[in-house]
Amino acid sequence: MANYTVTVSEVFQALADPTRCAIVSALVGGAQTVSRLAEPFDMALPSFLKHLTILERSGLIRTSKLGRTRTCELVPARLSQAEQWIAEQRAVWESRSDRMVDFVERLHQEEQIHDSKRRK
Amino acid sequence: MTANDVNKAANKATDNAKPDDLVISRGLRAPRSALWRAWSEPELLKQWWCPKPWTTEVRAFDLRAGGAFHTFMQGPDGGVSDNPGCFLEVVPQSRLVFTSMLTGGWRPATPWLGFTAIVTMTDEGAGSRYIATVMHPDEATRKRHEQMGFFEGWDTVITQLDDFASALR
Repeated sequence: MANYTVTVSEVFQALADPTRCAIVSALVGGAQTVSRLAEPFDMALPSFLKHLTILERSGLIRTSKLGRTRTCELVPARLSQAEQWIAEQRAVWESRSDRMVDFVERLHQEEQIHDSKRRK
Repeated sequence: MTANDVNKAANKATDNAKPDDLVISRGLRAPRSALWRAWSEPELLKQWWCPKPWTTEVRAFDLRAGGAFHTFMQGPDGGVSDNPGCFLEVVPQSRLVFTSMLTGGWRPATPWLGFTAIVTMTDEGAGSRYIATVMHPDEATRKRHEQMGFFEGWDTVITQLDDFASALR
């Protein structure tokens, strides 16, 4: 198995996307071929493959090729289900907090510009 | 409640945190008043609540203890996430507590995802400090969620760090 030096934040980032969460969830039931796995997703295959690449890089899944068929499976040691659950929750709140902070900083800047205009 | 009390409360929330609780902290250049606006005005809240291209509809926002807090999110592929809840504590400019375990008027609920979130806002330097403590049910409840096919529900859950973060940098 590849020797991965992946940070926790990479795992969070990998899980912080609805499509990738769904892929991980689908794989909880066992390994699947890429084409089978992609079926329920309403997106072009190249986009789907990009999500798989991100998941593979994070160490959450691994893929193997037999003939022309590529198969995906979860890497069991990467995260237990309970840990995964917590990681998913953290990913939701970390990303929400990041969006909120960016929004508030922008809001504050706009208020300041507005105030200084009013003073002139 | 004074700002100092709120500080103590924030520390207390952090101190009491169990290993499984999420404690998320951010320092901001913006003042507490801006933070409060982003959380207390639904028109603003819905702009950052979920990642694009998902959209948030605020179906109820009764900002008082026992008031309903209900968000409904929709994704581009038809996925939805319905999240009714209830405010437990509202201290303007400093503290918001809400839960998914109750709906408006403290009516008990059995949500697909049980949690209580404590959001605190304090002054820090010229800016402010934001701390969110999110508590979830214990391991046994979590296991039950899994048995109930909880993981299948995950495709409707909204999170997407990349887009927003990279679009803003």
